[in-house]
Amino acid sequence: MRILLVEDDPDLSRQLKQALSDAGYAVDHAADGEEAHYLGDAEPYDAIVLDLGLPKMDGATVLEKWRRDNVGTPVLILTARGAWSDKVAGFDAGADDYLTKPFHTEELLARLRALLRRSAGHASPNLEIGALRLDPRAARASIDGEPLRLTSLEYRLLHYLMMHEGRVISRTELVEHLYDQDFDRDSNTIEVFIGRLRKKIGPDRIETARGLGYRLVALPGEVAAS
Amino acid sequence: MSRAPRRPSLVRRLVWLAAGWSVAALLVTGVLLTTAFHQASLRRFDLGLADLNQGLLSGSMVSADGQVQAPQLTDSRALRAYSGRYWQIAEHAPGGRMRVLVRSRSLFDQDLAITREALTQVAATPGAPASYDVIGPLSQPLRAMAMQVTLPGRRAPVIMMAAEDRSPIDRESERFAFLTAAALVILGAGILAAVMIQVRVGLRPLFDLRREISEVRKGKTERVAGTYPVELEPLATELNALVTHNQEVVERQRTHVGNLAHALKTPLSVMLTEASQRPGPLSEVVTHQAELMRGQVDHHLRRARAAARSQSLGERTLVDPVLDELASTLERIFLPKAVEIDWRAPEDLCFRGERQDLLELAGNVIENAGQWCKGKVRVTAASVDGERFTLRVEDDGPGLPPERRGEVLKRGARLDESAPGSGLGLAIVDELARAYGGALALSDSPMGGLRVELTLPRAES
Repeated sequence: MRILLVEDDPDLSRQLKQALSDAGYAVDHAADGEEAHYLGDAEPYDAIVLDLGLPKMDGATVLEKWRRDNVGTPVLILTARGAWSDKVAGFDAGADDYLTKPFHTEELLARLRALLRRSAGHASPNLEIGALRLDPRAARASIDGEPLRLTSLEYRLLHYLMMHEGRVISRTELVEHLYDQDFDRDSNTIEVFIGRLRKKIGPDRIETARGLGYRLVALPGEVAAS
Repeated sequence: MSRAPRRPSLVRRLVWLAAGWSVAALLVTGVLLTTAFHQASLRRFDLGLADLNQGLLSGSMVSADGQVQAPQLTDSRALRAYSGRYWQIAEHAPGGRMRVLVRSRSLFDQDLAITREALTQVAATPGAPASYDVIGPLSQPLRAMAMQVTLPGRRAPVIMMAAEDRSPIDRESERFAFLTAAALVILGAGILAAVMIQVRVGLRPLFDLRREISEVRKGKTERVAGTYPVELEPLATELNALVTHNQEVVERQRTHVGNLAHALKTPLSVMLTEASQRPGPLSEVVTHQAELMRGQVDHHLRRARAAARSQSLGERTLVDPVLDELASTLERIFLPKAVEIDWRAPEDLCFRGERQDLLELAGNVIENAGQWCKGKVRVTAASVDGERFTLRVEDDGPGLPPERRGEVLKRGARLDESAPGSGLGLAIVDELARAYGGALALSDSPMGGLRVELTLPRAES
């Protein structure tokens, strides 16, 4: 397993490099944002440990660039900034996990193991409808290359609609696939989630078939392209 | 208890100034008008008396033995007893007195008196009339006119006197004074009302500005937006600059604090890592002390944020997008556990405060639920009234027995000592919610686990 460690503090870098090597990983080290960006783009790492406060280019920008370049490597963010606004920004930039300094080395190693296990999980093909793209392995969706921020219920709904592209799916069917049977379901749940999805992917991609249900379609221009 | 001194008021000052001036002007006007009317009446009255005197003078004769003969006047009022119109011809008597020679029949058996001053005056200026007031028969208030003349054929001068009851013109004057006063009082009241309206209308932009500032403070708006007259426009501009400056200061403070935290936390990480790699008594001490320092850094970070927050004005945050961000972020954090966060919030619900703080409040509560749940977390935001809303976070975990709920909220307490993350959790939330004048309550959830209900200030949308 090959890991990219991006950290500018020399002491912490040395320690982490040591700890990661001891745990059996091959470790490359980058001390600034530009070097990290280059390495992450060029080399096939299994995971990246990324500090956010970096010289030359900050970590969040590096991460956003990778994601735009379709680098899907799982990234664990390491930062002193533990406020929720920072965490949200980190995940929005495309992080897979987040660890706040100061931390115990064991915790970092445990998180990294979980991250690698997750990404090595069952691979299923990506779904693509027009500009809409869904990656079931990373549980991520994007539109025109921009990552979409979805909650698990929204993701599940979108996944189901995309798997049945063009077919009208009834509300009952959607509720059954959205919730376990032991969960209470109120009648307007589906409308709420369809509404939120439309806000995120554009209102025209989900059509309402009055009295029947919903249907996911590509936009007119996109059909010809794909 | 002594009464608090009345504070100066612009409205009062303007109204008093205008009212004082108006009342003074009206008073002077009233006095002048009344006096002028009274004088005019008296002059006309005196003309009548002069006529009578003239008639008396031209009709009087002196007989050969020096007796004054009464003139034949046709005025019936001078014939009827005590009619109110009288005449009399007298001559000086020794000792500053006067002796009556002839009198009108209306005087019947009475003399027409003369004041000492009038007597002296007529003696000093023969031929010139002198007016005076005197009480006549039946206590009638009389106005009299006396004139000293020398009749042909008589050496000693005589005094011609004419008098008439003056009560009709006194009544007239009183009536006029009353009408004038009434008219002026009405006019004054009208002016006062107009002044008040004028002051209110004139100062309305000031009241508007006050309302807008209060809305900025309450978080309903972010800046003073209305258009104001040239006199107030600079004030509004300055206020906006102040609000902006305030927000910048808050932001700068936050940035400084964040930088400090960053600067301290990396060395702490190095110490912790170094210590963990070389087990021993020293490592234990270092680890323990580093953890304490981390707690201190976190604590002071929050205090600095709270201090910065108390100065910030006019912040409002939509709840819906914050919950959306948190739900997706936390589901990623708890991805190995596959936590499902189902959240609901009215789309237009607004928190009166900063986005960062709502993220901290909701983030910590939902993270706590995520740590304890079996897989499901439910988040519901709902408005209570115009001023407050509730944020309810429930999970399907083991819940918390009532007797342990108190200790969760003690600062520094951690229910799950081994849980990752900053972990102070609900104690921070409780502190932060109180800082916002809100509250945190714990109860059982129908889903099986704990229900945390936050009550927070709401900004009108």
